[in-house]
Amino acid sequence: MQSEAKQGVACPYLIKDRAPGGAWHATLPTLLGALLALLLASGAVLAVYYNPRDAYGAVQMINREVNGGWLVLGYHNTGASLAFLALYAQLFRLLLTRGYRGPARFAWMLWVKLLAVLLLSGWLGFVLQGGAGGALSLTHASDAALTLPGFPGAVALWIFGGPSGPGTLARLLVFHVLLAACPVWVICWARCAARRARPAPEGRAVAFWPVYASQYFAALAALALFFTLLLAFAPHWGQSAQAMLPGDVLPMVISYPWYLQPVAHLAGLIPGDGGAILVVILAAATLYALPWLDRSNGAPPGRLYRGLTLLLGLDVLALGWASAPVLQIIFGIWFFIHFLVLTPLVTAAEAK
Amino acid sequence: MAEPTADALAAHGTETRRDFLRLLAVAGGAIGVGAIAWPLIEALNPDAAGLEAARPVVLVSDIAENATKTVQWGGQTILIRRLTDQQLAAAQIVPMSALVDPQEVSERVAPDDGHIVVVIGMNTGAPCALQGSAPGDPRGDYGGWVSPCDGSEYDALGRVRAGPAPRNLAIPRFRFIDKHQLQLG
Repeated sequence: MQSEAKQGVACPYLIKDRAPGGAWHATLPTLLGALLALLLASGAVLAVYYNPRDAYGAVQMINREVNGGWLVLGYHNTGASLAFLALYAQLFRLLLTRGYRGPARFAWMLWVKLLAVLLLSGWLGFVLQGGAGGALSLTHASDAALTLPGFPGAVALWIFGGPSGPGTLARLLVFHVLLAACPVWVICWARCAARRARPAPEGRAVAFWPVYASQYFAALAALALFFTLLLAFAPHWGQSAQAMLPGDVLPMVISYPWYLQPVAHLAGLIPGDGGAILVVILAAATLYALPWLDRSNGAPPGRLYRGLTLLLGLDVLALGWASAPVLQIIFGIWFFIHFLVLTPLVTAAEAK
Repeated sequence: MAEPTADALAAHGTETRRDFLRLLAVAGGAIGVGAIAWPLIEALNPDAAGLEAARPVVLVSDIAENATKTVQWGGQTILIRRLTDQQLAAAQIVPMSALVDPQEVSERVAPDDGHIVVVIGMNTGAPCALQGSAPGDPRGDYGGWVSPCDGSEYDALGRVRAGPAPRNLAIPRFRFIDKHQLQLG
């Protein structure tokens, strides 16, 4: 309890104890941090030219008339894609290695918060493009939020400022910017929490420079290469094609960017707009409660648990991929079964 | 002089290699960050259309003698007039003592073309647009511009000659790109 209370203070181990343990995937938080910095920088440039009253036209203008505007938009689009890739990979890594237990519990809860913040920010970014999909998604969301009873409805009214209209995007732009600043803070906090949770190294510690620094450098270089390839050869990979259509076109089904697709399909588990909000909140709460759902008591992850976690990863991918409602329901239910039923049972069995 | 030991040599080699790696890493990182930042900085520069609107280019070679071209720039009306030789000669003999705001002819005409006068078409007395640019407009006793609001009169060089206006017409920033066109701003 005491150690958890102390997580809030500034982390004194920023330089001294940064040994990532040698695995390549230990650099994922750093890569995510670099991508978020790029998103902030390119977002600041885009905000100069963006116009919420004519969002679609503003994006077209940035693409065609701003010096290198297409490249700045590409930074922001591809950067968002890869940031979600890094975050999903990091969460999967923590699930696979049970990096959410014991002292690392606090860091895990921060990662889940970061997921929530980035998902919300990503959805706002999708809406702010002013494309057909975003406009319809915003209409659905504001309609659903405004029918909420009581206090949640009042908050929704405050956020959206009534049913979606010409002024709505101006509000959402502010929330997008405010939310964008949060991850930087959360990611630093999560790194500090993870570092504090790590046991003190026995014997002689390895100096950070140059052994581990070179590892981070190689990881950043690999990211830059991958980023460049994606930006050059597949700039619209995983993006919603409906974002390219003007907002007055009404699509039959909304297609989201790939990183929002699993959440959008999970939300369809309970019919109705209010049900969708409920499912998303339940899913976030389930992830948040994972340290308590795990009954392993400190035992290392067994073969069955690792197999099930891999299956969960495939399940989330399939959830995003599936277009048939039946499949979406099956994959969505499996998500909850994994965490609420299988995780307690399997971890308890493996602890014996 | 003692020979350096093998250990010292090895340590020396490691140091050099490490220094080189550090140099390589820092240089590579700096180039990478610079390459990423460059488009972001470049995007904040004004685009060609914005610059074009901010500093318009005006063709002056098609202005006939004694005719005026009117250009809107930055919310102001810019008047460009090509003077005849007689107008210039008449302006030369006006004594400075006869002027409200004394200025030589050379201070009023364009530096690169002695027949072109560029002024801002705003009366310096009561704020008012001037008459005298369109072919049928009254030009007053001095062959320049008149203010319909307070009756001030200007000569063809834009110098105030009569009326309550206290100063000559303002001259905007401009330069000749070549002998046919000038650029405002």
